[in-house]
Amino acid sequence: MIEVKNLIKVFEGRGQVVRAVDDVSTQVGKGEVVVIIGPSGSGKSTFLRCLNGLEEFDDGRVIIDGIDLTESKTNLNAVRREVGMVFQHFNLFPHKTVLENVTLAQRVVRKRKPAEANDKAMRLLTKVGISEKAGEYPSRLSGGQQQRVAIARALAMDPKVMLFDEPTSALDPEMVGEVLDVMKQLAREGMTMAVVTHEMGFAREVADRVMFMDAGRILEDAPPAEFFTAPREPRAQAFLKQVL
Amino acid sequence: MPLKRHSVQWPWQALLAVILLGLATGLWVATKRVNYEWRWERVPQYFAYRAEASQTAPVAGTVRGISTDGAYSRVEIVPEDGGPSVTVAVETDTLKVKAGDPVAEGDDIGAERHWKIGPLTWGLWVTIWISFVSGFIGLIIGLVTGLCRLSPNPTLRGLAVLYIELIRGTPLLVQIFIFYFFIGTVLNLDRIVAGVGALALFVGAYIAEIIRAGIQSIAKGQTEAARSLGMSTTETMIHIVLPQAFKRVLPPLAGQFISLIKDSSLVSVIAITDLTKSGREIITSSFATFEIWFTVALLYLLVTSLLSQLLFWLERRFARSD
Repeated sequence: MIEVKNLIKVFEGRGQVVRAVDDVSTQVGKGEVVVIIGPSGSGKSTFLRCLNGLEEFDDGRVIIDGIDLTESKTNLNAVRREVGMVFQHFNLFPHKTVLENVTLAQRVVRKRKPAEANDKAMRLLTKVGISEKAGEYPSRLSGGQQQRVAIARALAMDPKVMLFDEPTSALDPEMVGEVLDVMKQLAREGMTMAVVTHEMGFAREVADRVMFMDAGRILEDAPPAEFFTAPREPRAQAFLKQVL
Repeated sequence: MPLKRHSVQWPWQALLAVILLGLATGLWVATKRVNYEWRWERVPQYFAYRAEASQTAPVAGTVRGISTDGAYSRVEIVPEDGGPSVTVAVETDTLKVKAGDPVAEGDDIGAERHWKIGPLTWGLWVTIWISFVSGFIGLIIGLVTGLCRLSPNPTLRGLAVLYIELIRGTPLLVQIFIFYFFIGTVLNLDRIVAGVGALALFVGAYIAEIIRAGIQSIAKGQTEAARSLGMSTTETMIHIVLPQAFKRVLPPLAGQFISLIKDSSLVSVIAITDLTKSGREIITSSFATFEIWFTVALLYLLVTSLLSQLLFWLERRFARSD
C-alpha cells in the first residue's frame, strides 16, 4: 500500500544542514499497522509527513497505492484524499462546528451532496462516540474529544491509509485512552495505519511491525514481540530502557 | 484583608465631570472674548428647507372662486375664451388674487412650497457613498494585493510590494492631485471617478497589509489539515484561511474604514461637493463659521460612530465559535 524508496529530506537553516530523513526505504502492506517510535528529533514525524507530500522531500520516491508522488503528472490533492492524517494538535477548523468539520472536505473535495455528507459525518461521529457534540464548536470540546473528531474528519474521506502523527502527545493522561480505543478499533477493522507515537502499550498491543528511527534512519524494523523483548540495536535498547 | 480591593469610584467620576464642565466654560468664555455671535438657528435650513415655487395662471380669464382648506387654497379660473375651468393650488398665505379678479396668462397667483434637502444633507450623502464605494473597491484591491504579497511568484510579490510602498509613502492629498490632474486628464476621467479611484487605491494599500498580517496569523496547522484532506490551495484559502483571517482583521479593518470616511474630506480639493466642501460653501453665504464647522464635525462623528457600532456588532457575531 505504501512504498518508500531512498527517501531523503534535508532541512537547511542558520548555516546548519540537518538530514531529517536519511535514505529511508520501507513498505507497508494493505491492512498493516506500523508503529514508528524513536527519540524526539529522530525524523519520525517528518518521515510520516513525507508520506502524503505535506513535506516536500529532496530525493527518493513515495508510492501510495501504486501512485508515485514524485511523478510530475501526479495530482497530489487526489492522492491526499486517499491518505487520512491525524495531527498532534488536532488542527480542527475552529470557525466550523464539529459536524461542519467532518462534512466540509466531503462536500468540497469529494463533491458529496449535503445530506449524504451529513449522514456519513453523523455515522462516523457516532463511531468515535461524539455524535452528541455535532453542533458544538471545537473550542467547547476537550482535547480527547477534539482528537476523536479529527479522526472522524479524516475517515470521512474514505481513506485507504491513515497516518497518525503523535495523536496522543498533546492530551491530558486521562484522555489518551479514549483516542487509543478508537485507533485500536480502526486497526481491528483492517485499516492500513502508520502511527508515530510514544504509547508503547499501543505499539505492543496493536502493531504488526515496530520501526525504530534515530537520526533520520530506520535502525530496526521488527514485530513488537521481538522488538520489545530482544531489540538488536544498542540505541534501540537504550531508548527502550528510558521509556519502559 | 482580601487581595482584591474595591476602589471608590465616585470621586474620580466627579473629577471627570468638573474637568468636562471646565472645558465647556472655557469654550464659552473664549467665544465671548472674540465677540462671536452664535447663530445656531441658521444651521437647520442647510439640512432641509421649504422651497417656494410661484404658481402662475395657465390661461387668461377670471377667478371664479377660491376654496380655502387650511394652509392650501384652490383657485378656480374660468378662461375668457370659454372651455372648462382650471384650478391652481397655492399656499393660502401667498395668495395674491381675490374672487372675481381678472387674470392674464402668466400672472402670479401665489406660491407652492415643498421640502428640499439642503447642502449639508447632500454633502453628507456624497461623503457616505464616496466612502462606501471606495471602501468596497479598496477591500477588493486589498484582498487581491494581500494575496499577491504572499504569493510564491516573484512578479506578483514585487508588484504588490511596489504598490503598497508607493501608496503608503506618499500623502493622500498629493495622490488625489496626481490622480485627478494626471491620470484623470490622460484617461479623461470624471472628477468623481478620480476621487473615488484615488481613495480606493489609497485604502487598498493599507487593507492589503492588514489582510496579509491576518493570513499570516492563521496557524500553519490549519493549512496542513486542509491540504491533508485533499483540498487545493484555493479551496484551503476560501474555506479555511480567509474566514478565520477575516474575523481576526475585523478590528483593524474597522479602524481603516473609519479613517477612510475622514480622509474622504480631502476629495473636496478637486471640487467634489462632499460634506467638507458643502460646509465651506455654506460659510461663504451664512458667515456662521463656528456653527457650521462644529456641525460638520458632529456629522462625521455620527457616521464614524455608527460604522464602529456596526463593526462591533459584526465582531461579536463572529465571536460565536470562540
